[in-house]
Amino acid sequence: MAISVREKKGIRVARNKRTVIVCHGTGCISSGSPAVTKRIEKEIKKKGLKGVELKITGCHGFCQRGPVVIVEPDHIFYPEVTTKAIPEIVNSHLKNNTPVEHLFYKDPITSKPIPHYTDIPFYNKQKRLITLRNCGHINPEVIEDYIAIGGYESLKKTLLGMTPEGVIKEIKKSGLRGKGGAGFPTGKKWQFCHDAPGPKKYMICNADEGDPGAFMDRSILEADPHSVIEGLVIAGYAIGSDEGYIYVRTEYPMAVKRIKIALHQAHKHGFLGNGILSTDFNFKVKVMEGAGAFVCGEETALLASIEGKSGKPLPRPPFPAQSGLWGKPTTINNVKTLASIPIIISKGAGWHSHIGTKDCKGTAVFAITGNIANCGLVEVAMGTTLRDIIYEIGGGIPGGKIFKAVQTGGPSGGCLPASFLDYPIDYESLVAAGSIMGSGGMVVMDEDTCMVDIARYFLDFTQRESCGKCVPCRLGTKQMLDILRDITKGKGSPDDIDLLIELSEAIKTGSICGLGKTAPNPVLTTLRYFRDEYEAHIKYKRCPAAVCKEIISSPCQHVCPIDTEAPAYISYIAHGRFKDAFQIIRRDNPLLSVCARVCHHPCESKCQAGKWGDPIAIRSLKRFAGDYALKTGIYKTAKKQRKGKERIAIIGSGPAGLMAGYSLANKGYAVTIFEALDIIGGALAVYIPEYRLPKKILNADIENIKNSGVEIKTNMKVGKDITLNELLKNYKAVFIATGAHKSRRLNISNEDADGVIDAMEFLRQINCKKEVKIGNVVGVIGGGNAAVDAARVAARLKDCKKVFVIYRRTRKEMPAFKEEVDAAIEEGIEIQYLTAPVRIITKGKKLTGVECVRMKLGDIDESGRRRPVPISGSEFVISLDNLIVAIGEETDTLFIRDTKGIELSKRGRIVVSEETFATGLKGVFAGGDVVTGPNTVIDAMSSGKIAAEMIDKYVRGKEVVREYSLTRPSVYVPPVKLREDEIEESKRPNAQCLSIKRRVNNFDEVELNMTSDLAIKEARRCLRCDLETEDAKIVLESKSKKKKAKKRG
Amino acid sequence: MDKLNIIIDDQKLVVDKGMTILEASLSNDIYIPNLCYDPDLKPVSVCRLCMVDVEGKGLTISCQAPVEQDMIVRTHSPEVDKVRKKIAELLIVNHLPDSSRSNKDEKNKLVKIAAYLGIKKKDLMPFRKPDKKINIDTSNPFFDRDLNKCVLCGICVRTCEEIERLGAIDFIHRGYDTTIGTFANRPLKESTCESCGECLVRCPTNALRPKKFETPEREVKTTCVYCGVGCGIYLGVCNNKIIGIRGDRDNPVNKGVLCVKGRFGYDFIHHPERLTSPLIKKNNKFVKVSWEEALDLIAEKFSHCKGENFATLSSAKCTNEENYLLQKFTRTVMATNNIDHCARLCHAPTVAGLVQSFGSGAMTNSISEISRAACILAIGTNTTAAHPVIALKIKEAKEKGATLIVANPKEIDLCRHADIFLQHQPGSDVALLMGMMRVIVDEGLLEETFIEKRCENFQAFKESLNNFDLGFVQKTTGVPKEKIIKAAQIYATKKPSAIFYAMGITQHTHGTDNVLATSNLALLTGNIGKPSTGVNPLRGQNNVQGACDLGALPNVYPGYQKVDNLDVKKKFESAWGCSLSDKAGLTHLEIFDAIYNKKIKILYLMGENPVLSEANAKHVKAALKKLEFFVAQDIFLSETAKFADVVLPAASFAEKDGTCTNTERRIQRVRKAIEPIAEARPDWWIICEIAKRLKARGFDFTHPSQVMDEITSVTPSYQGISYARIEDIGLQWPCTSLKHPGTQFLHANKFATKSGKARFMSLEYKPPAELPNNRYPFILTTDRSLYLFHTSTMTRRVKGLDELNSQELLNINPNDAAELGINDGEMVQVISRRGKVKVRTKLTDICTPGVVSMTFHFAESPTNIITNSAMDPVAKIPETKVCAVQIKKLRK
Repeated sequence: MAISVREKKGIRVARNKRTVIVCHGTGCISSGSPAVTKRIEKEIKKKGLKGVELKITGCHGFCQRGPVVIVEPDHIFYPEVTTKAIPEIVNSHLKNNTPVEHLFYKDPITSKPIPHYTDIPFYNKQKRLITLRNCGHINPEVIEDYIAIGGYESLKKTLLGMTPEGVIKEIKKSGLRGKGGAGFPTGKKWQFCHDAPGPKKYMICNADEGDPGAFMDRSILEADPHSVIEGLVIAGYAIGSDEGYIYVRTEYPMAVKRIKIALHQAHKHGFLGNGILSTDFNFKVKVMEGAGAFVCGEETALLASIEGKSGKPLPRPPFPAQSGLWGKPTTINNVKTLASIPIIISKGAGWHSHIGTKDCKGTAVFAITGNIANCGLVEVAMGTTLRDIIYEIGGGIPGGKIFKAVQTGGPSGGCLPASFLDYPIDYESLVAAGSIMGSGGMVVMDEDTCMVDIARYFLDFTQRESCGKCVPCRLGTKQMLDILRDITKGKGSPDDIDLLIELSEAIKTGSICGLGKTAPNPVLTTLRYFRDEYEAHIKYKRCPAAVCKEIISSPCQHVCPIDTEAPAYISYIAHGRFKDAFQIIRRDNPLLSVCARVCHHPCESKCQAGKWGDPIAIRSLKRFAGDYALKTGIYKTAKKQRKGKERIAIIGSGPAGLMAGYSLANKGYAVTIFEALDIIGGALAVYIPEYRLPKKILNADIENIKNSGVEIKTNMKVGKDITLNELLKNYKAVFIATGAHKSRRLNISNEDADGVIDAMEFLRQINCKKEVKIGNVVGVIGGGNAAVDAARVAARLKDCKKVFVIYRRTRKEMPAFKEEVDAAIEEGIEIQYLTAPVRIITKGKKLTGVECVRMKLGDIDESGRRRPVPISGSEFVISLDNLIVAIGEETDTLFIRDTKGIELSKRGRIVVSEETFATGLKGVFAGGDVVTGPNTVIDAMSSGKIAAEMIDKYVRGKEVVREYSLTRPSVYVPPVKLREDEIEESKRPNAQCLSIKRRVNNFDEVELNMTSDLAIKEARRCLRCDLETEDAKIVLESKSKKKKAKKRG
Repeated sequence: MDKLNIIIDDQKLVVDKGMTILEASLSNDIYIPNLCYDPDLKPVSVCRLCMVDVEGKGLTISCQAPVEQDMIVRTHSPEVDKVRKKIAELLIVNHLPDSSRSNKDEKNKLVKIAAYLGIKKKDLMPFRKPDKKINIDTSNPFFDRDLNKCVLCGICVRTCEEIERLGAIDFIHRGYDTTIGTFANRPLKESTCESCGECLVRCPTNALRPKKFETPEREVKTTCVYCGVGCGIYLGVCNNKIIGIRGDRDNPVNKGVLCVKGRFGYDFIHHPERLTSPLIKKNNKFVKVSWEEALDLIAEKFSHCKGENFATLSSAKCTNEENYLLQKFTRTVMATNNIDHCARLCHAPTVAGLVQSFGSGAMTNSISEISRAACILAIGTNTTAAHPVIALKIKEAKEKGATLIVANPKEIDLCRHADIFLQHQPGSDVALLMGMMRVIVDEGLLEETFIEKRCENFQAFKESLNNFDLGFVQKTTGVPKEKIIKAAQIYATKKPSAIFYAMGITQHTHGTDNVLATSNLALLTGNIGKPSTGVNPLRGQNNVQGACDLGALPNVYPGYQKVDNLDVKKKFESAWGCSLSDKAGLTHLEIFDAIYNKKIKILYLMGENPVLSEANAKHVKAALKKLEFFVAQDIFLSETAKFADVVLPAASFAEKDGTCTNTERRIQRVRKAIEPIAEARPDWWIICEIAKRLKARGFDFTHPSQVMDEITSVTPSYQGISYARIEDIGLQWPCTSLKHPGTQFLHANKFATKSGKARFMSLEYKPPAELPNNRYPFILTTDRSLYLFHTSTMTRRVKGLDELNSQELLNINPNDAAELGINDGEMVQVISRRGKVKVRTKLTDICTPGVVSMTFHFAESPTNIITNSAMDPVAKIPETKVCAVQIKKLRK
């Protein structure tokens, strides 16, 4: 029997010996693992523990949670270990055999501790079988470690028992494909070089990993250098080479250090040099440190670089296999490919070919980064879906954000949208989707990513890294970058998209090397899957993700549907100029006090301060300004406009109608609003409970609107009290804003039982001060604002003791405003998540309860949320006195159903032009919920504002089209000077609310106003994004110059 | 050559195997747009415009794809057109910004391509325009570099690398910021650029453009006027003015390539200082006179001074016909053999030495053979400076795998390309070469059969090697033994080996011995009489070979027929119809001695400037003052002509017809491109006019071709030459009949000696005539500049050339300078036993300590004031390569 390398080298294999493993990959080192190691050593010594081995390894892949410490053979995994935690681990776990539970990894959803790394989804969904098999298990600087797990056995097997042809045959049979990106069959590549004539051949390991966000090669060299060397020597033997190179970037100092140590050790042990393993095979390896040019990853450029020339690619043919390094036949394999060779040799081609898909064998290694919970290095079988990688292994998107796209293959790859999540990943499938496998970079992007900006970012990289040799790549990528830059600045033209596509084609077909041939991919795929974002930038001057600075100025203003100049009023407040702040708000928003209470504040969701701390409390500041105006009496200053001749009719006095009326009155029109009810304000008045929006406040705003010259006729229901035709005859134009007032039905059995209440009806009656009687236990079905409002209103009623909210998804997916849900929970309302009603249980006609079923979250549906799926057998019953159904509202458009020219959708909504809100009937416009279905106040107001502009154009006989411009504030308020301690401030003040005690049983406003000190403090936290645009800088410079001149003068 | 059938755009073509698709197309007049392709350079396929559609392969870059049998190529396809158009648009948007210069852009290939692809202004509208604007580099005196127009095709870089092998420019930066620049991106003038302009003529987009650019009305094919290489050129003519020069691609010598002087050095033709009428010195002042008056005066004076009191100095810058006529005039009309010319100062030892060894004193092999040599020994030649186009061939050979051995006391530019550099002491050439031969004999590397069959006197020679043991050689030459052994081994074994030499070999008191040493070396290894071998003296002036061939020498008639041979004398007496002297005349230096001693009273000087070119120039000046009558004939009032009594304005090479013989014995045409300036007249006309006034017969020529007919009748080696035969390509002598194809290399089967065998010559080492001592501790050796020619009568009247090299510099080793306390660029005095000159220093380690060097191009610092006129006893050449000097710091 042959002696194994291990026996020959006398390597002792430690089995069942307790070993503490500390990750010393670059990631963990930077998060502090050397200090952790030192501390463990110290503690072990201190405790006098014998038989415990402390071991340093390379990267474990879970870099997000470094420093990683593992205790074997227990498989216990401690993430994010600090030096402080060490004494406890050593004492409790190593000494007393009690693993420290509170330091375990916790499931991000269930928060349940998971002690064994084998059970952590990040690991157990992977297939770390081939390329990363040794990473994290051995000390990369100790060759005995590698030998102990069977290292260099494969080399022995090949040199002593296989012919070079046999090795190539085996690799061919295994189906191994190059892991550097293109996936060329490795065996075939070797065969070419093997067959090339000449005595001198070179074998090169390509470790010039240059993609931003990719660190696979680096980690392997750092964690398992001997596998690479063993693979390199076997490859050298197969192709007939006696000299190898490892081309690695200089900026990978640890990889360089460890590979050099490994080479030295391998040489000392006789695995390199002359007469390897006493055969007549000689092989030497040199490490070549590259200067860090991305293009040097391209084979011919890499060869030029090794030869000492500037790293520029050459046209192929001739291929390196014919004429490579110094004109000699050369094979170049990626680090990952070579690291896979030894295991394939040892386990056999058949073993390898059983992993993966039919055409793509084995595994793929990815470096996942971006907007993902678990950044790190993973190995999965070919054919694994993107969903498994992103959601199972990667842990999904953090911060409750929605997945938008994944970029694979580094800067030359493409961006794939959510529809590809269930796409199995291999070389061909990615190419078919417009991307590439590349070297395995995988960048996950969420909703806050602008796809145009991403394309620009990647192109900026490739453009910079282009060697400049061939025209299409040199000039083409620059041209594309210039165009993309213009688009992200709002300077794009409609021709640009076509030009981008044409340029992409020319660059892809015309360039010499892979860099140029793939550089347009990010642009092409984003154009393919996110063309609307390009169009939004070019045509509408909008950046949907609120990223592109020159378009959006400040995101808070950009995302406000009515373009409120938030940065301006926030900074006025910061300066203590409250009146100025109020005037800025009021100019755009007649319902400012309303919005200051009920707006869902999209501004805050994109606030840049929220990226590293809390977003600015923009809505509260608005309320502060509004309340200040009310208190000081400057509020009622709206000038009554000179009443014009042209008359405009508005149907509905909700936010859309009021906004349109105010805007039109300001333009000099005689506006009449027809309101069916006897109270003004639409949904604001009838659905929003008093404790959120006191009637007094609402009426102040309405009064203001009336002041501006808007006439409001109540109890005038169009279709009943007056016909649309009459309006059309007497008015120049009509704006329909009747809202959505009909509750949707559950469509389950017994829905009409006594005790089942429609949420709309319920809220309307309460708001109209009508008496509503309910029982002790009330259930509310739904997760929207109406459901939460109904629940909180019910809880305030005298008889009600307990309120349940039944919602079929989790808190994360709930559409109700977060602060409303928080308040409801505070007020004692119980929310049953992942629960859906199955049927209503009755006794006679009377409801007694509801049977529910537990749900779990499944695949993502078209809304981007995960679809709830019932868990069969989990049914249970909740006993109730009343059930309020709040699962959505519908419009009531019966009054115009037969009007010629006005089209209605299937759901009964009015169909209008998306841009102008014009209906098919001349002179008739529509907006608000009647068009969109139930929606937010501010969106309804936006439609009123735009419709007013369009109506003005229509009446004046101008073409009814929108004009779009970049978002800019109308004034530039100079920044405040911050004190040192303020600069770091990242917390927002807690909302001042009535105490729970004082809330129950009354409808007093819950949220309280800020004090002026607090408001100023909060406003000073604003990061002043509006000052970052090019024109803001110009304005401010000239302002400060004038100021200085004044001072001097 | 193998042929292949291919179809391009439905045309069935038969093309050479090995061609690329682009070459096959272009050679069949099928245009494919291209920018980075140049027929002389390796393809790089960076512009990507030459894409075509190949059936079965799809889109293919045609400049790099070889043709294959039955290939079907389409120069247009929807994809090709689309991609190509976008690439062209990108180029135009980035590199053709201003239309105001469009008239200058007629040569811009990008304009043509835009028109071919139908690119319109509106197609370019959606593109973003580049924001960068690069300043134009105007530092070079001849051409500007406008990188805004540069498409980075790299033709200039590749030209500098592949043709010039200089690498003065390269790509710098990367990506979009890539530009082409010099080392450290300095202006061209401050770089290693030699201004040869090869890049300029190849630039497809006018990024490199001449400072003055006019389109010529017509072009006249002729031969370059500068060095002995004899490059073919075309003179561009506009309004009787030379406005440009371009290389003649069909000329076998240079194949279109030119050096800086050849391409740009034509301003002198129209220089205001050209002599415009005959001058007679009256009261020590020159007065303009009519031709009649001047010629009459000359005839009158000459008629009283026939015989040994008269001497002529002919000119290696004048044509064969003119040299023939002048020697005929001297011999037949003035009845003396006192004729010589400046070959005496350069290659007299070559003639003397090679005649002894081989029977014929000329370059044995041809320029076109150089690139196929396996070993090249370049000794005593600063080839890149003095013979730039031959230097390119040597570099090409090196690139093709030849081993280059450079032997020179200075570390000249060619050393950058050398495998072995032997830096021997000035004047130790015999020791060095004999040392090498000693190694070859000792190691048995000699070619015995060749020696036995084709040589004589080997034994005596072999014995003379005994004096050259390597210890002695190492000590004498200063070159380590090992290097000499290695050089010898390589020269003897890597065959064919060729020897090249120039003034470093000849300008010594033992110049003939030096030449003999080179021929011994070639014979010893059988490196002669075969292609790419031989002993190849590189001749300096454009017609120094012809002037010698046609008897402007005191001892021979045309064709090296000795004046003291009675048969020859008889032949010429009958041909010329007069009696002739059988007494050899005086050589160059001897003539001046004779003048000094008042033995010669009248001197007729044609196109020479000995005041600057002659060693110990003080002596020359003193002599000239003693003449009774002195006629100088030149295109400018040279330093020498100022001493004359009558000055005759001669026509420049552009203004007359004739022939010249270049260094490889090729007789080529010189053609009249313009009418002579003002009253200037061709030299041949002037000679004939003087002769006619002296009632001589045989000078009734109306055109130089008639002179050539006479030449062929008396000169055996020129017998087969006629103007008709050399209309397109010149012929190399010997060309003994009208059917003889000319001779590419000499001595193929038989040497030109009497016995038909080559003769080994025993040699002994002789030190230079003047060695350093305490008072004169340095050896001064003379050198040449690339930018200037000889005494610079012409080149310093070319503004740009003067700008590129505007003053004399004393090259001195920094260690020596430090010892003397001299800084770089400081003025010093260089003093020899004969005189002193002031010169600016240049500290450089191309000189070893103890050796300094100067050129002799500057009248302001006339180096030959200090050089030594000690002569080689045989060839009578002065030892300008070695003299002892002291260097004195000037007090401020």
